[in-house]
Amino acid sequence: MNNRAGSANLATLAAIDRLVHEPSRLAVMALLYVVNSADFIFLMNQTGLTWGNLSGHISKLEDAGYLEVEKTFKDKRPNTMLQLTPQGREAFRGYVKKMKQVFKDFEG
Amino acid sequence: MANRLNLKELERKAFRSTYQDGLWDLYIGLIVICMSIFVYRPATGYNLNNIVLAFSAMAVAYLLFWVGKKYITLPRMGQVQFGAQRKKRRLTLIIVLSIVVLIQVVLVGLQLLAWANPEVGARFSSLILDRNAMDLVVASTGALIVGPSMILVAFFKDFPRGYFIAIMIALAVFLMLYLNQPVYPIIIGALIALPGLVLFVRFLQKYPMHREEATRE
Repeated sequence: MNNRAGSANLATLAAIDRLVHEPSRLAVMALLYVVNSADFIFLMNQTGLTWGNLSGHISKLEDAGYLEVEKTFKDKRPNTMLQLTPQGREAFRGYVKKMKQVFKDFEG
Repeated sequence: MANRLNLKELERKAFRSTYQDGLWDLYIGLIVICMSIFVYRPATGYNLNNIVLAFSAMAVAYLLFWVGKKYITLPRMGQVQFGAQRKKRRLTLIIVLSIVVLIQVVLVGLQLLAWANPEVGARFSSLILDRNAMDLVVASTGALIVGPSMILVAFFKDFPRGYFIAIMIALAVFLMLYLNQPVYPIIIGALIALPGLVLFVRFLQKYPMHREEATRE
């Protein structure tokens, strides 16, 4: 690998969205990318994250504008529905594209 | 990489997880048992009580399914809405099943016509040599309508256990109509419900009721 190619790889790595890159958040985003919307419990069961952990990651994604959180009541019980925003979908697509590029570059 | 992260597979896994409570298996098993008990040909002939009892038992089975979903499994499983692709598949299934129902209506109509008009009935009967052959034709027709319908449901609803259920239901319908012995379909109904019961118990053990939602914020 020559120096120019190496620098290019590192630059791609630096451009990776760290918010999406974290494994738990990546799992949440991947799941919400393939469904329309899901509630907190469904996400918890599917990702295996604990309540507190998931709550923290959701808050970060929501603050970044990647997630839309809708709090409603179903049968007098609180229900939190989550959905990726268009910005979140774009961020996920961008992340996948960049990671593919990174591994492609690594393989030479 | 041994475990590839495939988005399509991820969506399928999430979708199929909604069947892991076993309630569909229990419900279909109960329906087959209900049919076995009430919708067979009594020696005295069909009467309104049979039909009323059959539909009442099916309504109870559906009520149990609905209550189980709403109050037991959904609060543990969580809510999810799938994308446009799933909605499209569901719509296709509705259209295909409507065609199947239409065919069934035509067949039932022909049967009613034969009952109402003995001359037409005799013409139908003359096509088939004896009573046994007639039973065989009716039983095979019933099984060939019900079995493939359930296969379609299994395919469009991405429900792998549905293929096993389809074969079992076809067998139950065939035995119910041909042998007119409710014991076989009752056994088959139990065989359909049994995996559902196992799944249901495992589901309850795996997914406890979440109380956090009520306290979140």
